[in-house]
Amino acid sequence: MGLLSIIRKIKKKEKEMRILMVGLDNSGKTTIVLKINGEDTSVISPTLGFNIKTISYQKYTLNIWDVGGQKTIRAYWRNYFEQTDGLIWVVDSSDLRRLDDCRYELHNLLKEERLSGASLLIFANKQDIQGALSPDEVAKVLNLDAMDKTRHWNIVGCSAYTGEGLLEGFDWLVQDIASRIYVLD
Amino acid sequence: MEDQNDASNSTLISDQSLDTAVQKKHQAMIQRLSNRHQARTRSKESESPSFESTDSFLSCFSNLKQTINSEINQIEQTPESFTKEDLDKVSVLINDLEKLVAENSYHLPSYEVRASLKTVGELKESLEKVSVKLVPKKKFSFKSKAVKQRQPIVGMEKGKVEKPEVVSDDKPSMMLDGPGFKNREREFLVENLKGKDMGEFTLSELDSCEARLIGRSRAIFIHKLKNCKVYAGPALGSVLIDDVEGCVFVLASHQIRIHNARQCDFYLRVRSHPIIEDSSKVRFAPYCLQYDGIEDDLRESRLDEENGSWANVDDFKWLRAVQSPNWSVLPENERIGSFHASIADS
Repeated sequence: MGLLSIIRKIKKKEKEMRILMVGLDNSGKTTIVLKINGEDTSVISPTLGFNIKTISYQKYTLNIWDVGGQKTIRAYWRNYFEQTDGLIWVVDSSDLRRLDDCRYELHNLLKEERLSGASLLIFANKQDIQGALSPDEVAKVLNLDAMDKTRHWNIVGCSAYTGEGLLEGFDWLVQDIASRIYVLD
Repeated sequence: MEDQNDASNSTLISDQSLDTAVQKKHQAMIQRLSNRHQARTRSKESESPSFESTDSFLSCFSNLKQTINSEINQIEQTPESFTKEDLDKVSVLINDLEKLVAENSYHLPSYEVRASLKTVGELKESLEKVSVKLVPKKKFSFKSKAVKQRQPIVGMEKGKVEKPEVVSDDKPSMMLDGPGFKNREREFLVENLKGKDMGEFTLSELDSCEARLIGRSRAIFIHKLKNCKVYAGPALGSVLIDDVEGCVFVLASHQIRIHNARQCDFYLRVRSHPIIEDSSKVRFAPYCLQYDGIEDDLRESRLDEENGSWANVDDFKWLRAVQSPNWSVLPENERIGSFHASIADS
């Protein structure tokens, strides 16, 4: 408990949160990070490896780890699990064919013990595309109700293209993490 | 006073006995040294042979390797007549062999070290394979305990198994959704996207077809195409391609991802680097589609500028500085040239 309280104190001082962002390739992870940071999203290459963005959000500093989602590099996701406060799972709501893959990878990820305490935000991205599933439909297909009852989670529809829904999602995530880590803030 | 006497007495005594004691000690020391020396030479001969030449090491190594291999073979052929202890013995032998390599690594050429370690690895692997056969024979185990501990996990697994069942019901209905061409053979397919709400478009399970998409879309999904030709107007978001063979694609998009493609040619206009994964014999060239109004479509999709990205392909299966063997630039004399598509062709 001693170590934990020290970690809590340090984190409290810096008000830092570590957020891991994963999901299948082509779901829009990098676009979300750049959009929320107010950067140009017109030229984004598929992520070969990972990007780290440090952004100030409300009174907190978010360290966002945006890790590439191509099949070949999914095996390396595990290298980023340590000390994750918040997990963002991004779904391409218009990619109906791969929702099975998506569900499989998500539930596989949630088995990971190092992520067991992390708040989970699911972005049902690409809501601006015609024919995209609604957040409710995505939640159903991903079988989110079957998750461990102790998990803090929320699903938010968004469009990284227009920016809609991004703030709503991040607000929830940051508040949820803050209420866990900085209990008496 | 008494104390002093005692002290002088004791020094006297010790002076006399010192000589003998020192001599004894000295002798013991010499004895010890010679013992140790002998032991050392003996151990050198028997335990850890250190070879002066690579050849003698190699011959010893291959002898040991053969012994281990024949042991493994015996176990493999008649697994019922061996026990776990036999496996452990072989395992010890392999460990010794590994130790031998390690001890001699300082004078061996690095190739030999690597080759030897690889052999050791292979031996371990084959032992593991054999041991799998033996495992069911295991007689001794904390059965009741183990079962109790595992039960909650089994329960969890059950939960996991149930999930895919639920979803397999959903799957077919999901697949039919959305605009697109699906499950066609030897057809000429044309879609005019102009004036329609921009959405995603799917091409899946096509064999020997030609597909033309005139106008803009938000995203294009391409899945399971064989010997097809696909000409498409600009996609504002991304194009995702999976499992295609012997096809020609003419595509423009902000992002293009290509998975499991074999022997395909891609004519691309793309703002970022196209990527390939698990693909081979794919070739790339610049976008070459023409139709009435394509200039406007490209401009509105911010794809009017040719930035040369089509040739900057990232291969996720080839993360090295040298050129990936899986893709190449299509030689100019083999390119199809400008392709004029119109709806009237159909």
